[in-house]
Amino acid sequence: MPDPIHQFDLHRILPLNLGGWDVSFTNSAAFMLATVLLSTAFLVYAMRSRGLVPGRLQSVAEITHDFIADMVRESMGKEGMKFFPFVFAIFMFIFVGNMLGMIPGGFTVTSHIIVTAALAALVFVMVLVVGFAKNGLHFLKLFVPPGVPWYVLPLVSLIEVISFLSRPVSHSVRLFANMLAGHITLKVFGGFVVMLLGAGSFAVLAPLPLLMAIAITALEVLVAFLQAYVFTVLTCMYLNDALHPEGH
Amino acid sequence: MSDPSDKHGPASGELSPQERAQFEARISELGERLGKVRSHRKADMDADAEMRGRGMAYGMRMAAELVAAVIVGGVIGWSLDWVLGSRPWLFLLFFLLGFAAGVLNVMRAYERMQREFAARGGKIGQSLPDDERG
Repeated sequence: MPDPIHQFDLHRILPLNLGGWDVSFTNSAAFMLATVLLSTAFLVYAMRSRGLVPGRLQSVAEITHDFIADMVRESMGKEGMKFFPFVFAIFMFIFVGNMLGMIPGGFTVTSHIIVTAALAALVFVMVLVVGFAKNGLHFLKLFVPPGVPWYVLPLVSLIEVISFLSRPVSHSVRLFANMLAGHITLKVFGGFVVMLLGAGSFAVLAPLPLLMAIAITALEVLVAFLQAYVFTVLTCMYLNDALHPEGH
Repeated sequence: MSDPSDKHGPASGELSPQERAQFEARISELGERLGKVRSHRKADMDADAEMRGRGMAYGMRMAAELVAAVIVGGVIGWSLDWVLGSRPWLFLLFFLLGFAAGVLNVMRAYERMQREFAARGGKIGQSLPDDERG
């Protein structure tokens, strides 16, 4: 049976060694670079004419911009637009990365937890830095819900702190698990097709898993978008806590 | 089973003309009501089909929220035990606190989800009026 995990293997394309650390340029790094280049090139190319009446590509770029801008305004208010470049970059990176992974033979960068964990940690550190920079120690109000009597406050605050620390975990695991599971499922059904074709008269059953694989491909495209969307929405929500620590 | 011909009509299994007319009227009325309920339900289902797809994604999110907090609580307790040498008490305490934090996470996520769905006109998580009465 074709190995469904093989697609996640890392290969060194350009072996590099920096002071004893292996910093080789891998296929994952190549796809990350491709993601960044592709999204940058698309946006620059689509906006080259800067028409008042947008062409087709410019419309796509503007719709993407408005989609994220609305999301940011909705969750953080007007002052949240300072974070628009950050949120937009996160969305584009995950979305384009997921879509590149949907190309047969492609590599899904978000199917490695280290990548999603790095993104979630970036958001987490950002929330801490912005929260303390903007609100000083008032940021700690995040852990003191209003209207709680003092004698249960230590317990409640402890629970709030654990809840806060669990954010980057669920934030990263959700994206990673969805992409990993989806791609493994696809590969398993693809493997069934090959195995049935090689099993003599059972080959007549081969179209069944093929149909399933086609259906799952469509579903995976949806999941690729939806997970990028969910990751971005949660980023906005967490950043909102940094700006307004009083109200949840 | 009792034979209907004992009570009604002259011939066995036959209905008198009035009874037949009544029966058919009742059937057509029932058909009308069924059709109404069905069209109602179909419209509701079409509107909700997309929301249900999202509901699946949100369900997975809930599970992740709960498990993540339990794991984080457990890891904190475990490391504190390791540092302070108080195994297993802090692990047990923080495991439970983690569970509480997980429930808190799920409640917050649910509140948000409901607000989002209400804004889009979906019906997940809200009570529906009974079809018969509606």
